[in-house]
This record gives sequence, C-alpha cells and structure tokens, in this order.
Amino acid sequence: MSYLHLKVPPTRDVRLKPCNAYGGSLCDLVDGQKTGCLSANGRAFAQATGCQLTLSMGMAASIPNTVVIYHGPVGCGAGSLALSGQSKESQLARGNDDAVGRVWMSTCLSEVDIVSGGEKKLEAAILEAERRFRPHAIFIGNTCVPAIIGDDIDNVATRLQDRVNARIIPLHCEGFKTRFVATAYDIVYHGILRYLLGSEPERKPIVADDLEEIAYRKRAARTVNLLNVGSMGYVDEVELVRLLNAIGLEANVYPCFTSPEKFVKVKDAALSVSICATHDDYFVKHLQEHYGVPYVLNTIPIGTDNVRLWLLDVADFFGLREEALKVIAAEEEELSRALAPFKKFFEGKTAFVSTGEIRAGAQACMLERDLGMRVVGIRAHHYDEFGEIVFENFKGREDVAINVAANQPFEQVNLINRLKPDVFLGHGNSNVWAAKQGIPTLPIYGPVNSYLGYKGIFEVATRLERILANPNWYRTLGETVDLPYKDTWYDSDPYTYIRQSQDAA
Amino acid sequence: MAALIEKPRFTCPLGGALATVGALPKAVAILHASQGCGGNSIGALMQAAGHTGSGYCGGASIPTSAIGEQQIVFGGEERLKEQLDSTREVVDADLLVVITGCTAELIGDDLEAVLRGYRAVDDGRPPLVHASGAGFKGNSYFGYDSVLKALFRDYVQPAAVKKKGRVNLWGLPPALDVFWEGNLIELRRVLEGIGLTVNTFFTKKDTLPELRKAAEAELNIVVSPVNGVSAAEVFKELHGVDHLIADLPIGAKATASFLREVGKKLALDPTGVESFIKTEQAGYYHFFNRLSDSYADLDFQRYLAIVADTTYAVALSRFATHELGWLTKLVAVTDPTDPEDRPAIVERFQGGLDDPEGTVAFETDTSQVSSRLFERWPKPDGSRYYRPFSPAFVIGSRLDKDFADSIGAGHLSVSYPISNRVVLNRGYAGYTGALHLVEDIFSVLVAKR
Repeated sequence: MSYLHLKVPPTRDVRLKPCNAYGGSLCDLVDGQKTGCLSANGRAFAQATGCQLTLSMGMAASIPNTVVIYHGPVGCGAGSLALSGQSKESQLARGNDDAVGRVWMSTCLSEVDIVSGGEKKLEAAILEAERRFRPHAIFIGNTCVPAIIGDDIDNVATRLQDRVNARIIPLHCEGFKTRFVATAYDIVYHGILRYLLGSEPERKPIVADDLEEIAYRKRAARTVNLLNVGSMGYVDEVELVRLLNAIGLEANVYPCFTSPEKFVKVKDAALSVSICATHDDYFVKHLQEHYGVPYVLNTIPIGTDNVRLWLLDVADFFGLREEALKVIAAEEEELSRALAPFKKFFEGKTAFVSTGEIRAGAQACMLERDLGMRVVGIRAHHYDEFGEIVFENFKGREDVAINVAANQPFEQVNLINRLKPDVFLGHGNSNVWAAKQGIPTLPIYGPVNSYLGYKGIFEVATRLERILANPNWYRTLGETVDLPYKDTWYDSDPYTYIRQSQDAA
Repeated sequence: MAALIEKPRFTCPLGGALATVGALPKAVAILHASQGCGGNSIGALMQAAGHTGSGYCGGASIPTSAIGEQQIVFGGEERLKEQLDSTREVVDADLLVVITGCTAELIGDDLEAVLRGYRAVDDGRPPLVHASGAGFKGNSYFGYDSVLKALFRDYVQPAAVKKKGRVNLWGLPPALDVFWEGNLIELRRVLEGIGLTVNTFFTKKDTLPELRKAAEAELNIVVSPVNGVSAAEVFKELHGVDHLIADLPIGAKATASFLREVGKKLALDPTGVESFIKTEQAGYYHFFNRLSDSYADLDFQRYLAIVADTTYAVALSRFATHELGWLTKLVAVTDPTDPEDRPAIVERFQGGLDDPEGTVAFETDTSQVSSRLFERWPKPDGSRYYRPFSPAFVIGSRLDKDFADSIGAGHLSVSYPISNRVVLNRGYAGYTGALHLVEDIFSVLVAKR
C-alpha cells in the first residue's frame, strides 16, 4: 500500500472509509462499516472538534530537539499555549534533563499574504528556527489558508534543505481536508518515513568492530519498536516494557518523546508493536513494506483479555508462547488477588465510556470483565475496520448504547440523561459535559496516570473506587450549573441530527 | 504583521471572539469555520486562561458549521443555514453570534444574505449578529473588538436621550486578560462608589437587556490604550457617546487618579469623589501595610522585568514603581503593535518608568526576552565585581517561567497565557485587586519559608 512516493498521503476518509456519525446497534455498525455506506454520514447540527493540524503538530512537538512551524494565520496552533509546561514534564519524566518544552512558531499570515503568497514568510521562519534553536528537525504544518491560496511548502522545504542543518519535514495537515482527525497520525508518520528514515544517512563508525556489529544484530533480533503517539504516559511505557522484558524482549519507544536522530534504529528492530491500530496502521505497514519490519496491530493492552491477546501476539512472533503464558498466569493470579477486595464495591455499578474506538472497546471490556461493572454506553470518535476485534465482547448486547461521534456533547448529554451511569470515562473535553450532569468522571487517558498492562487495571480500579467514594463535587456541579440545551432536546432521539449518507448534503 | 512570531501569546480573531461571546450571559457563538477552529481554540481559551473553563456553551459544545472540502468548492451558505436552524432547535440561547473563520471568509460566502434571511422571520428566535474572526485579519485582540463592534452595530438600540451618571466600561478582553471578570467587578464597584451606574457587559451583574440599552450612557470608559478603542470609535459614530481612554488602574494611587479623571470628565461633584477615595485608601493601606515588617526585615525590594501586553505592561510598571517601590529595568510588550503606534505607547509609560524609551522593548517572541534584558543590563562578564540582575522578579506569563529561572528571579504569571494558576473571581485592578497582587507577588518570595 505504499504511499511514500506521494507528497501528501491519502486522508482516512479515502483510505479507510471510517464513520464518525452513527447511533444504534453494534451489529448494524459493524455491517455498515464493511459496506462503507456509513462513511458519508454527517450531522445537521455539529459542534467543535479538533482538526488534523492540532493533532499532527501536537505529536510532532512532543519529539525533542525539534521546532514546529505553523504555516498559517496566527491562531492555528494556539492550543499549544495550554501545554508548554506539560511537554517539558513529559520529557523530564523520560530522563531528558535538557528538556525545554515545546517550541513552536507561526508564520502569521495576513491579508497581504493572502494576495501575495506566504512562501517568503515560511522561508524566513525556517531560517530563524535554525538560527535560534539549532534543532534536529523542523516540522512545517500546513494550514487551511496556505492550502487554499496555493503555497508550495514542499518546494520551500526542498529549496531550503541545503541551507539548514535541521531536517525539514513538511506536513500536509490542513484542517478542512479531512473529517477524521486520526489522519494526523498518518501525516506525521508519513513525514517521519519520508524525510527522517528515508534520507537519514547511516552513521557508521570509521573503524568497524565486527564483534560490536554481531552483538548489535543479535540484540536487534530481540528488540521491538513500541509505538507511542503521545497517548501513553511514561508509567504506561514502563509497564509495557516490563512485560516485554519479562518474555525476554527489549523495546525502544517511538516516536513521541524520542529524539529524531535515534529514529534510524526503527528499521533494525525485529518487530513493531502497536498499542492502537487507529494510531499506527499506516506506519507499521510502511515499515514492513520498505524495511521488512513485521508488526502486530490487533489490540490495545487494556484489561486482562486484551493484555493477554497483545502479549501473545508479540510472543507468537518470536516463538515465545510458552514463556508468555507463564508470565500471564503469574501476573493474572497476582492481579486477581489484588482486585479481589474491590469486586464487591463495583458490583452492579454502571459505566459509560467515550474515546477513540480501540481504547473505548478495550476499556469497556475491562470494566465488565475485570471489575464486574456494567457498561451502558460506548462512544467512539470514529469507527473503522480495526474496531471489530475490540468490540467483540459487545456483539448482540442490546443493552449497550453505541454512538460514533467526535465529541459532539449534545448527543452525549442526551444519552447520559437517559442512561444515568454511575461513572463516565471519557476523553479530554468530553468529561466536563458528563460532570455538569452530576456524573463522576475518570479521564480515560492522560500523561501521568497508568492505564495499560496489569498495573493499569489495578490503577484504574483504585482510581474509580476513589472517585466513587466521594462524588460530592460532581453532584454539586450537576445541581448548580446550566447546560446549554433546551428541555425538548432531552426528549428527542439522540441521533436526530445524524444525516444518513444517501441524504448527505 | 510580523514575519513570524515564536509562541504567540494570543490566538486568532476567531479565538478572541469566542472568548468574548462566551463571557456574555447566555450568548452562544456559532462558528462558520473549519471543523477544528473551535477545538484548537479550546486549550488556548480554557486551560491557558487560568483554567477558566468551557462556560455555558463553549469548549467542545460550540456549534460549528465545520467547513470541509465540499463547502470550499461549492460554498458554505447552505451548511450555515442548516446549522443556524438546528442550533435554534437544540440550544437555549438569548443571543447568537456567528463568527466567521478563515475558510468561510476566503470562499466568499454571502453572509449578509444568510443573516437577512434569518432576521426576516419573526418567531421569537434569538437575535443574531455576525463578527469577523478570520485569522489573517489580526489576532484575538482584534476578535474582541470585532464582537464589540458587531454588538454596538446590530444589537445595542439607539437612544436619543442619554442618562446622567450612566457609563459603559470595557477594554479587558475575556481570556486574554485572564483576570478580566475580577477586574471588571472591582472597576464597577469603584465607579459605583462615586455615584455612577455602570454597564460592564461581561460580569454576573450584567445582563443582555442592559447591554441593549448601552447607548443611553453619557460616557464610555475604555481601560486600555489599545483594546476596545476602535469599538469605542464605532460606538461614538453610531450612538453619539464620547469615550475616555484610561490605563488599567492597579493600586490606590492609580485608582485615585482614574476616579478623578472620570469625575472630571463627567463633571461630578469632587467632594463625593474625594470622600470615596479617602475611605477606600484608608482601607487599602490598612491591609497593604501589614507587609511592612517582612518588607523591611527581608529587603523585599526587587529589580523587575515585566513581560506583558500593552494594557498590563503600562499598569504593572506604574504599580511596581509607585506602590511597591521596585525598579523596573525591562518592559517587554508582547502584543503586536504597528511601528507607527509605538511612540504613543511608549509615551503611556511616562510617570510609570524613569526612562520609558530605554526600558520598553516591543518583543513578541518568548526566547528573545532574555536578549532584550541584556541589552539593558550588562551581560555577565566573569569579573569579580560584575553586578548581576539581582535580586530580581519577573511578572510575565507562564511562558516566561524558564526565563525567570535562567536569571534566578522569582516569577508570577499575570499576563496571558496562564496555565499554571487557577483564576476564578480574582482581579488585580483597583484597590481590592492590588491587594491580591501584593499577596500573590510576595507569596512567591516567602514560598520556601
């Protein structure tokens, strides 16, 4: 499927035909996805979501020793203002003592530039980024405006590459080009594959040491690429590396928080291990095609079922199934003892889950199978061919509301009002709307907390128990805040404004 | 506008307009823009503005037409109409404000036609105004003015007769002034103290019906030399109300001159004004002077670097010089300014700084603030008797923490962005606000005790 010869990779809309507007049964969703007929669904009432630019550049900016340049009007990228401290903390946590936090620039396109073009400004910004920061790489994020007026950022990058030491990586992540924010992952990986891996010179020692070379090869044969696009906190990385170590493997983590000069080693690993197909399918498939690195992509290691599946996928590749089963048995036994005191507490409690499809399915499964809670609703940002495996457990479950939406709090509040779950586990910017309905919330991912592996199961259990132990803050919020919807909305079908593809505008 | 800005301390007009609409009671913004413009603004407006939150219909709830490739090619008017209709069905709003983003304005949608169509139907639907938010037109300060102008033009009702003692006050853009609401509450309080009826549009005490009657005022007070000034011009032209452009008053001295200035402009009885000032001043110094023992024993005087937008830079430099007795050696003005406006801005620092020309730098880029300081203070030269920039303090934004750390200075986030503090009703203006500022600054100095 290689797209690396293209300057601009295809959007998810075209490549995977996902759906992001659906409400109904899981069965119809799975079938509809296969025929591709849900992909064109839209909404007659829509609310603010992210765009691929914000996600692309957020991911790029987490890579140390880089500068990101937003080529566009001044507001594109302003979301970074909330994160400048946090990025530094994430790097410090990984032992990067020189962490400086994210560095970004804007080319501040003005009305004059709309007429005369913005390429000169982009040139100036690249040279200034090189002069001020001497970064290893400079990511250029193209925004809506220069795409419409026809700036050629690839040409600028090519023209300037000889004049700067930094690798210039143009990213075509214009917001209007895709309805699926997850296209951002493909965009950044495309940039890494095309400009960092494709052209990075091999740094060979002047005097080759055969012994060292053999040792490296031997080690590489047992080393995997563990992929983190930013949704995994450091504690989760540590847990997954621990499990991989336990079956005799080593892991290097890419691409977030890893300095670009280390990326060249990605090609040498024996296997790429994804924790989420939504993130990594584009990257791992290209790594296999171009560099012969195979991959596993089935699931996210959340909950014992999916941790087992994930670890066995990896183990099977190396012929380590026996070792893995031993590790799993020991881990599951220890965990089950640790979880035993919580079981009674969670019994009969209901939960609602809302986040990206892979995490949503696996987390919902974990809540039921590991904690004994009952899941009453699952919302996924989008749904595509990779969702089926993690939603397996919910097939035929008519008691679970299935909604596909990138945020869209109006649908969420309608559902929550009907289902009244005991707790809501959601993505950033969606939790608050459940909280305003008086429902206690647990952020479903985050940079400092543990979610993955066996440790993640225990940690989520303790945090849920803590949150439910005193929900007063949420209750008070629910009683004292007004939501912006008319009373009639809560009596309406939550999916009133979903446009089926045949009548798409 | 500049060729590039590193870590701009503001967002686009759309972001500024969103924050402004979000601060009006039960007003709802509808974005006619790309799908991500709202999402991108969320972090900038919420977490970076002292964790101010999504409010009534902000954050991920902002209704959006989500312009995509289809609308870029075929136009976005139909999609906007659909979104206006559905928003009316779902959302409970007293006022709707359509904010257009870059894509909508580039493809040339006929907004006026859509607005006319909406307004032609009289079925009790909420009033609708339009504010331009295209990113290429400026920054979020522009967006604040853009919404104010739209309101003054299409929402405020003309009033032939002006009411004595009634004033409007603005100039502090919500979110971009992280302390806007606390500041407005205090400024309203002190103006009420000298007998005025005050309309500040954006506080809990303000209402949309009152905003609608804003043209009955006899004076508009803009507490910023830059923000809201062009909106005041529009107000004057449409409604015949004059304006007074004042600096944001922080502390007893600045607030007293502010009140006297307003009193003079409105020809108020000076006895009433002076009597209020006297009472407030006594209350203020009653608390302010509690600091005296520690200030005297621990030498709390500092060299100061201010990194802030024009409004705050002017206000803080006066406060530091006259109330704290500090020595301001660098003022980095971080909002973009036209070179031809700069002499006038520097002039505003007269009385607040000994040497405005030598102290003020116009610097939008975070990493360059340090260079601006060491153009004004000798660089370390390794000599035994080098005089360091110490003891020092930096009043800036969250972005300036690294700079403060690099010179061993204390640091307090006062200017936008502030992601490392939570701000609720705190303000720094007037008497009450200045006491909060004193508490916050000196708490940094004693934090390790």
